[in-house]
Amino acid sequence: MISRIRYTFREMWASLSRNLTLTAAAIITSTVSLFLFGGTLLIQRAFDNQLKLWTGGVEMIVYVKHGAAADQVALIQSALTDQNVVESADYCDEVCSTAVATSLFATDQAALEQLLPQIPSFFKVKPVDKGSSELLRSLKSQFLQLPNVQDVRTPDDAVDLLSQLKDFFGVRTLVLSVVLLFASALLIWNTIRTAMFARRREIEVMKLVGATNWFIRLPFMLEGLLQGIVGATLGSGALLLVNDNWTSGVKGFPANSGLKAFVVTDGYPVWVCFWMILLGAFVGAVGSATAASRFLDV
Amino acid sequence: MIRLENATKSYSAEVTALRDANFDIAKGEFVFLVGPSGSGKSTMLRLMNRQERPEKGAVWVAGRNINDMPDSKVPHLRRNIGNIFQDYKLLSNKTVFENVAFALEVIGKPRHVIRQQVPAVLELVGLGGKTERFPHQLSGGEQQRVSIARAFVNRPLILLADEPTGNLDPATGEGIMRLLDRINKTGTTVVMATHDQRIVNMMRKRVIQFDRGVIVRDQARGVYE
Repeated sequence: MISRIRYTFREMWASLSRNLTLTAAAIITSTVSLFLFGGTLLIQRAFDNQLKLWTGGVEMIVYVKHGAAADQVALIQSALTDQNVVESADYCDEVCSTAVATSLFATDQAALEQLLPQIPSFFKVKPVDKGSSELLRSLKSQFLQLPNVQDVRTPDDAVDLLSQLKDFFGVRTLVLSVVLLFASALLIWNTIRTAMFARRREIEVMKLVGATNWFIRLPFMLEGLLQGIVGATLGSGALLLVNDNWTSGVKGFPANSGLKAFVVTDGYPVWVCFWMILLGAFVGAVGSATAASRFLDV
Repeated sequence: MIRLENATKSYSAEVTALRDANFDIAKGEFVFLVGPSGSGKSTMLRLMNRQERPEKGAVWVAGRNINDMPDSKVPHLRRNIGNIFQDYKLLSNKTVFENVAFALEVIGKPRHVIRQQVPAVLELVGLGGKTERFPHQLSGGEQQRVSIARAFVNRPLILLADEPTGNLDPATGEGIMRLLDRINKTGTTVVMATHDQRIVNMMRKRVIQFDRGVIVRDQARGVYE
């Protein structure tokens, strides 16, 4: 068993170093495609963060003044839910509101520090008819009259634009990354094919002395797998670097730029990198396994 | 050891390489397959190690009909068959030792077995002192000896040799034949395709003659006609 493992890795390494340029091309393509794939996921997440306040069916946010007493909050809640045009009104108290603000203003500590001493609690209000802007306007003016209500926010054109941008970039970058992933699988396939052709004499001898097809295939399959994993690892590193640069850059944006929350700061990028490496390994394994099976009779 | 029953092999509608071939080769026999180029000798060898399958008839090797053998079992069959070629088929980037060891390595033999068997077989073929040389540093005869060592290192039941003296001068060719004869005397069946008249006449072994895919003569202690 040990001699087989030693043989497999030795032959894999020999093959990799023999086709250096093709190996490099396959790795670079995997890197770019997986970087784009991971980038797509991060961009989607950043849009989600930006739109967090307005997604999940919440069409309106009613802010309650900082320090409002429990009975005052209860009064507002009953005023909201008594409306037969309101489907639900979920309350986020000041502790909850602080957590949300900490997440949204992760890159702007100064703004956060300014906000926290006077942080309002809020209700996420879902009207029954979410499509009626006239109803939203009417409810907004009505709720603004309630005691201890600080402000009422409804979606505006900017949010609609953000949603459109999210859809636009999300679909297109995803399609592009899938196309590039397919290209990298093809390139790995071609690399393995070339490697097998270069070693056709060895393969012929191996078959004649009784090596099994799996024994012959394995070094080639590992070669493709390694190309996929190395490509994905490089792509992941690049993605983390770019994400870090962007996050740092956003800190310098003006507070009213509307992009303060357009960042991904939790553990999500690492999770994306984990999936990128799995995907890279899968693409490499599929590309090389297909080629190794198809071109064994060289 | 080897039996052919009405074996027929065609490469196209016009080219029939072998037609209704029938013969038995016993364990330990030395058999020459003779005939002009394209007469079916090499096809016969390719049928015996399952590189080809006949359209009709059966090929039995070591008691098994290898036509019906699943592909997954073919490598195990080939571990009992050594192959020698006119062009040696050595790997130019490997030394003599590595070329021979390669045959054991790819069938999963452990390192200690390789270290024991390879020097022994290289001594047998007279290359004990040239284990670290590369093929291009050897003469044609020496390269063929490496090829024989590689074919024999796993102690196969059968050796199939396709024109092993075809690229060698007469004296070197005779040396190769003496080596094959020694291997045959250890009990290994040797089947050799050749059109080297001098060698066949010198060895006086069984001769099966082919002409356009048909066996026209099967003679014990025969000569080249």
